[in-house]
Amino acid sequence: MDLSGRFGARSGDGVPFREVTGLESLHLGGGDEFRQMVPPENGGGFTALLELPPTRAVELLHSSSSSSSQATLHSLGTLTFPSNPILMERASRFSVIATEQNPNGNISGETTTSSVPSNEHIKTEPAETETSDQAAVEKQNNRCGKRKDFDKKVKSSTKKKSKSSEENEKLPYVHVRARRGQATDSHSLAERARREKINARMKLLQELVPGCDKIQGTALVLDEIINHVQSLQRQVEMLSMRLASVNPRIDFNLDTILASENGSLMDGSFNGTTMQLAWPHQVMETEQSYHHRQLQQPPPQQWPFDGLNQPVWGREENQDHGNDHNSLMVGSASLHPNQVKMEL
Amino acid sequence: MQPTSSMKEEFLQKWQMGLQIYRPLIDNTSVSERRKAIKLSADVAMASLRRGTTCWSRALIQKTATEDNFLVRQMLSGIKAETLINKKLPKVMCHRKIVRRSKKILRRRKSRSAIEEVAAKARKLVKKKTQGLRNVVPGGEFMSNDVLLIQETLDYIVSLQTQVNVMRSIVDAAEAGSERTAYYLGKPKFAIEDG
Repeated sequence: MDLSGRFGARSGDGVPFREVTGLESLHLGGGDEFRQMVPPENGGGFTALLELPPTRAVELLHSSSSSSSQATLHSLGTLTFPSNPILMERASRFSVIATEQNPNGNISGETTTSSVPSNEHIKTEPAETETSDQAAVEKQNNRCGKRKDFDKKVKSSTKKKSKSSEENEKLPYVHVRARRGQATDSHSLAERARREKINARMKLLQELVPGCDKIQGTALVLDEIINHVQSLQRQVEMLSMRLASVNPRIDFNLDTILASENGSLMDGSFNGTTMQLAWPHQVMETEQSYHHRQLQQPPPQQWPFDGLNQPVWGREENQDHGNDHNSLMVGSASLHPNQVKMEL
Repeated sequence: MQPTSSMKEEFLQKWQMGLQIYRPLIDNTSVSERRKAIKLSADVAMASLRRGTTCWSRALIQKTATEDNFLVRQMLSGIKAETLINKKLPKVMCHRKIVRRSKKILRRRKSRSAIEEVAAKARKLVKKKTQGLRNVVPGGEFMSNDVLLIQETLDYIVSLQTQVNVMRSIVDAAEAGSERTAYYLGKPKFAIEDG
């Protein structure tokens, strides 16, 4: 049962000191990836810039100035990048030092073009893994130790922040950075989808059960739900007990109950006691006609149940054209048999 | 989703049908027997509203069938009755216990850090609560995954609310009716005494 996995991890969010470490590990992760993707060349430092056309150099300098704040990555060593400006901007977004430049970039155009498709190909990898980002985070929350999970989770949030800020500065790219140690996508996606399903339904439950919206945390919400269900079940038992303790004649003849309510609201329907003896068999008749009608084809207009919400049954009388007469009789009749019984 | 009036109507009709089955046996004078009859017919009525689509309704019908087979057969007409009553309960319950025990054994060697412990406790708590929910919802033990459990709980709560609303209005009407009869019965007596 993985409800706990998701919520347990979530509770650890927002711890401020982790953000710094998250950022560092973030960059480290990104750097490692790039090292895998782009084999480092011999050219290093600013000497490579001199071989470039001026426009490119200016671009590089701009990108380097913006990413100068991420000075920690100097220690990573040299990383070379293709001269393609699009890829350059991508690299800067990845917040790796972008000052190095592939010295062979200008020498042979073919190599750059040949390297471009491979980089394009590599570019698509992060795009694919974007959707499973969250899933990877969740998955790792399940697997690894909790601290690492918090890091990764904070990492994702900080990553998004840094990404969006860079995007605002530079280009409207939509890609998300790839994560290292990515689990197989289908599993992560499935888990993520499953967790989202559970959370959506938990939200519905919270809306249904009164007083659950303010509660934070799965365990307490589940507590409330259990209490609500138990209270409803107990209410059913209480009501059935109350109904059983009422006069037995009435509780098994529900329609007479309903009709008696109708009759009670109409004061003029109560006839004298002289008709007592005539009533009982008439009562049986009308009851049977009711049952017959109901068993055959219960037309909904017979019992307009808006009245169930309110104690006023008079409305039913007005709408009940065909049964006015009968219900009147039954209404007053149900009281009479009891009277007869008691008096006798 | 709140109970709709059409749901209430249908429930009332089915409940009436169930109670009529008991009407010839109205001589079971003990209150507890009558209460049981009322409750069982109300439960079957509530479960039959779903026509066997949900897990809890099937489990509830099976449960009441163990207490009163005749009632269930009469209330659910047609093929549905046979399939629902004769279906054997799934054996998933046993498997879950075995799996849980083996997981516990395997978990002994896990490393502990402070944060891990807290999260693990939270997870344990949630697992306990879901087990409690399974105990309350009929047929909960046989729901293998949590998504299904929560879905069933939702449906079950809505149906319970329908049942409670309808029963409450009937009981209020019945009690008001009996009060009135007592009142009217009292009147002539007073008249006689005064006279």
